[in-house]
Amino acid sequence: MIARTNRIALLAVPGLAFLAVIYALPLLLLLIKSLRGVEGMTIVTYVEFFADSYNMTVLWRTLRIATLTTLLALIIAYPTAFAMARAKGIWLTMFLVALVLPMSLGVIVKAFAWSILFRSNGFLNTTLQTLGITEEPVRMLFTETALIIGAANVFLPFMVLPIYSVVRQLNASLPEAASSLGASPWFRFTRVTLPLSLPGVVAGSAFTFSLAISMYVIPSLIVGERQQTLSMLIARSFLYLRNEPLGSTISAILLAIAIFVVLFSSWLVGRLGARR
Amino acid sequence: MTHRTLAGLTRRRLLKTSTLAAIGTLAAPALLRAQSSELVIGCAGSHTAWMESIVIPHMKEAIGADILFEGTKSSVNLEKMSSNKDAPYLSVVQMDDPVMIQAVEADLLSPITPDAVPNMTDLRADATHMEGMWCNYVQPWAGIAYNTDKAEGVPSWTALWDPANSGQVIIPSLQNTEGMWTLMSAAMLSSGKPFSEAQYETDAAFAKLEELKPNLLTVYTTMSQAFNLLEQGEISMLSGNFSSYTLPRKAEGVPVDLAAPAEGIFAMPSGICLVKGGPNPELAQAYVNEMLGPVMQAAIADFASSVPANTTVTAGAVVPEGVPIYAPDWSFVAANRAAWIDRFDKLMAL
Repeated sequence: MIARTNRIALLAVPGLAFLAVIYALPLLLLLIKSLRGVEGMTIVTYVEFFADSYNMTVLWRTLRIATLTTLLALIIAYPTAFAMARAKGIWLTMFLVALVLPMSLGVIVKAFAWSILFRSNGFLNTTLQTLGITEEPVRMLFTETALIIGAANVFLPFMVLPIYSVVRQLNASLPEAASSLGASPWFRFTRVTLPLSLPGVVAGSAFTFSLAISMYVIPSLIVGERQQTLSMLIARSFLYLRNEPLGSTISAILLAIAIFVVLFSSWLVGRLGARR
Repeated sequence: MTHRTLAGLTRRRLLKTSTLAAIGTLAAPALLRAQSSELVIGCAGSHTAWMESIVIPHMKEAIGADILFEGTKSSVNLEKMSSNKDAPYLSVVQMDDPVMIQAVEADLLSPITPDAVPNMTDLRADATHMEGMWCNYVQPWAGIAYNTDKAEGVPSWTALWDPANSGQVIIPSLQNTEGMWTLMSAAMLSSGKPFSEAQYETDAAFAKLEELKPNLLTVYTTMSQAFNLLEQGEISMLSGNFSSYTLPRKAEGVPVDLAAPAEGIFAMPSGICLVKGGPNPELAQAYVNEMLGPVMQAAIADFASSVPANTTVTAGAVVPEGVPIYAPDWSFVAANRAAWIDRFDKLMAL
């Protein structure tokens, strides 16, 4: 007779089967394709990819954009999550609606909205000139800065919600205890609050980084073809160069980076949990 | 032990019935679709306006077809056809000539014949290609679109390179077929040869394109986004745009116009083809026949300010007089396009 816990575990079988067929199998096929040459298994496409300076530029740019997007999202999300954790009633509802509602808006609509904002005669440039900060319009459209701001905007909920879920469960008496023992606000934050909230920060950062490193539509619309990312290289390889081995290789590299980030963050969360 | 429900059904029977019902529900759309009057058409995203307003209502009335169209780039349509070669879901695809050549080489098309598509006999001789593998159904011309608030005209292709237009120009990527016009103009200006000869001067073309970089705001793959920036005055010129896109917007009062530079403009024929093994083949042939017939030819040519392919139709675009129109060697383009895209992307990268 199957133990009750094992029977409950069987409930996960449909989900695992779905993931295996829809997710794992195509990825495995992609990996095999990246390693298949004319005369059998080979790593030549990987060697060619890393030997091409253009590809390395794109790889570096992708990592840089994903990292900066994650950092910007974290800077905005961290205090927001604390405000939400302390909010009650209508305020909490408003915070959640403000956070979740923009997710229902398509990225294309947002991209066009950003293009209005970032134009030479757009709101930001007009404001800068009105305030006398700049005399001439500043080039914002099709810049990496615009891309990072846009991406952080899209991925912000994925950073806020994990931090919020951790911060909400923090024991408020711990900082108070530190305070009663004479700890300064800075000491309380760095030695009590921040360490306790780190699992949420790591989880949110892993989510955001994984999404940012593989984004396609946002860079396509905001910075265009002159500043390609790994995802754009993949699309270009499959659709326009019709080079499936190259596209599969770049996909495998992108997947490896994402897997490393998820595994590393899981390990880090485990370590931080153990310390607590 | 047999468990009985309140209704008297056995649990086994209930499970069996539920499973069959679930399978039936899941399979129903496919079964219905196989016998439906639905046609999935692949076409250019820039054709959305007239596909929605002209083609779809006409096809419902004329041949009873329910049209689902997927507007995207020709290269993406080619990839869809290639990926689904064993089980095609597209019946008809409308795309650019160089991509048609690739589709023929990949054995993705069924020939169009006068027996099944009688209206093809009324087409211009140069509108039927590779023994009927595809036909051109409409032909816009391509020049330089410009914002009329910023310029009074664009007399020459050299204007793209003019230092006065620093940061004011957007060109199409070579991923888009219209990207070829800037490449060929660069070849013409760099080599000093006419377009018909200059189109083979690839190195000269890329050398000249590199000189264009200071003037570029960006390189586009999504034309609607680039055109929006032109309309709003963020840029002054958009290279390689079509009469079928610019002139309808001009007619709506938007401050844009399409210049025909003195050195020459380009013919941008759009093709229509039957997907090999595609669903509803007879309905697909009827759709193609209607697209090549006088009613659709006149309506599309009029709406899209382009030249009709059907010789019995006199409506359509006003092609600029006194300016030569060039059609490139599409087979040369098709053979070299992937290498050009790779070179172009690396050259233009920031």
